Order: sequence, then structure tokens, then C-alpha cells
Amino acid sequence: MPTELPYAADAEVSLSFDELDVLKRQYEKEVSQSHVTVQTKFNYAWGLVKSPIKEHQVEGVRLLQDIYRAEPTRRRECLYYLALGHYKLGNYDEARRFNSLLREKEPTNMQANSLEELIDDRVKREGYIGMALVGGAAALGTLLVAGLIRRATRK
Amino acid sequence: MASQEKATPVNVKLLLIGNSSVGKSSLLLRFSDEQWLPEDESSATIGVDFRVHKMEVKGKKVKLSIWDTAGQERFRTITSSYYRGAQGIILVYDVANRESFDALPRWYSELETYVSPSVVKIIVGNKVDKEFSRQVSYAEGQAFAKRMNSLFIEASAKTSIGVKDTFDEVVAKIIDTPELWASVGSSNKSKASRTTGTDARATSMPGTIDLNDSREDESYGGGCGC
Repeated sequence: MPTELPYAADAEVSLSFDELDVLKRQYEKEVSQSHVTVQTKFNYAWGLVKSPIKEHQVEGVRLLQDIYRAEPTRRRECLYYLALGHYKLGNYDEARRFNSLLREKEPTNMQANSLEELIDDRVKREGYIGMALVGGAAALGTLLVAGLIRRATRK
Repeated sequence: MASQEKATPVNVKLLLIGNSSVGKSSLLLRFSDEQWLPEDESSATIGVDFRVHKMEVKGKKVKLSIWDTAGQERFRTITSSYYRGAQGIILVYDVANRESFDALPRWYSELETYVSPSVVKIIVGNKVDKEFSRQVSYAEGQAFAKRMNSLFIEASAKTSIGVKDTFDEVVAKIIDTPELWASVGSSNKSKASRTTGTDARATSMPGTIDLNDSREDESYGGGCGC
């Protein structure tokens, strides 16, 4: 029987306000004590990336980039969630860039491969919409020009 | 038989948990895609993975959503957010890895914190293909499962022994457990169980944050979360 792929669970399911708030408060508490653990920062970044709110996603990506730079042992999950965050933000080139860094290291990683398909699908769909808009504009233009010509020749 | 009952599939949510490298993702891959990846080609799950699978159990159409969680400790807070609404939990250990079996009680204390007691649990002793290096006997696994009031099976994602049975059994039991179908969104049940889960939280693994903590001082009906 078939399974439905591709799917990235964290791309579509977000935390509740309360859940995200728990992670946020833990993070802010540690910031105020001027010692933030990688774990706390990562948890909060993950919660932000899952959020449907754009500012959250941007902030999440920023934190993940910090962790990526500072913490080599956390790179693979940072790459994945950076790709996911950029995908949600519509930065498909960036999403592909991070995801392919992960896929280079782990060619059979099913989560990364699934995310790649999602990015491809989204790019294709937005490409069609773009083409449709351009096509529609062209068609409208043709009609207008035709109308003008007709009007001009009638006189 | 009632044909209407057959037409609309019931939704069942399952969660795979257990130590890292016991083969949770491999069991899922074998079950859903009839595939298996050798150890050097498979990679540790990042956070959580998800699959939808349709099957038929007891003449009922079932749409399974299966959440495959990362076993690594650093994802513990992340994965705990996926417990909500689960009707079945598949706890996996590796029969050739004693440590993964000994970790089961800690996984049960997490369950006490996050899910209601009526949720169906099945323990899966995976990798029985490694019979030569087995460290946990069938009898021991079975006895523990009985004590924890859980189903028990041994399986191998590599040879596919016991894999389909695992999912068939857990889903059949879920269908037979009326409490799990009482009302959707009755999260009060799991909240109530949290009070008994306080000692569980004390022994829970490092780096774990209870995502429910914020509601501690609120009455049930109070926060609307908007």
C-alpha cells in the first residue's frame, strides 16, 4: 500500500502559543543570566522555525545560523532546519543550498531527500503561477492592442 | 455489514519511541515501503519524521499517521511535543543491545507525563536477525511487557519478520479501546495524568523541558491560548 510522500512534518505543524512561550522564556532566562546553552537555543530556534509567523521564522533561522557556526556537532540538524526555515520563508535557493550540504554528507537521508522534493514542487508551482501571470498579462495586452487597432481602423 | 463504516477511514495516530539506533525508522521504512537500508546508509532521524499509511484492520479502513521520533537525547524536548493525541505508542529496543532494553522504564516515565493511561502500548524487540549476538531473551522482553501492561512482539526490519504484525496488533487494540474514541480533543485526561507524573519528570532525562509547564498555575478552563 502506498505512503504519501514527500512530507516534512515540521514544515506544517506548529507549536501552540504556550509551548513556544515555554521555550522562549527558557531562552530569555538564560540570556539574562548571560549563559545560553546550545540546547536551549536550539529548542527555541526549532520552535520559531515551525511557527507560521514570518518574523518568528526569520528569527529562528538567525539563531540556527549562530549555532551552525559555533557548534560543529550540531551542524547536521542545523542544516536541515535552516533549509526548512528558508523553504518556509520562500528563499528556495538558500533552502536548496543548506539542504544539499546535508545531502552531500548523507546521500540516503530520507528527510533531506523528501525536503528536496518539497522545495522542487514549490518552485515548480510558483513557476507555473508566474508563467500564468505573465501569460495572462500578455493575453490582456494583446486584447488591448487589438481593441485599439480596431478602434483606430474604424474611424 | 454496515458499508458506511467501511467507507470512511478512521484516523489513528502512532508514535515510535526508543533509544537511538534501535531501528525505529527502519521498522517504519520496512512497513510502509517494503525497504531496508543497511546501517552505513541509514542516518539518525533529525527531530521527527512522519508518514501516512493506509491499511485495513478488522474490516475497517484505517488511515495511520505515524510519527517517527529521533532517539538521540538532544531531541527529547522536540519529540515530546508530538505525544499529544497519540492513540498508540510503539516502544522499540534492540535485542542485541542490553542498554536499549534497560532504558525502557525511562521511556515509560515519559509516557506517564505526556499520554493518558488508556493509550495502547506495544514493545518491539527489533533486530532478531542478530540472533547470534542477542542480549535480551524473548522471555525477559515478554515478562517486562506484561508488567507494563503492554503488547509484546519481536521483529526484524531487515528480514521483515514481525513488522506488519506490530502495526496490525497495535491498531487492532486501539480499535478495541473505546476510551481512545470517546471525544476528540479531551486533553484534560492527559493533563490529569500529569499530576501522577511529577516523579516521572524528576527522573526524566537531561535537557528535557516539559512543554506543558506554562499551564501549571492556570485552571483548566482559564487560558484560551489566543
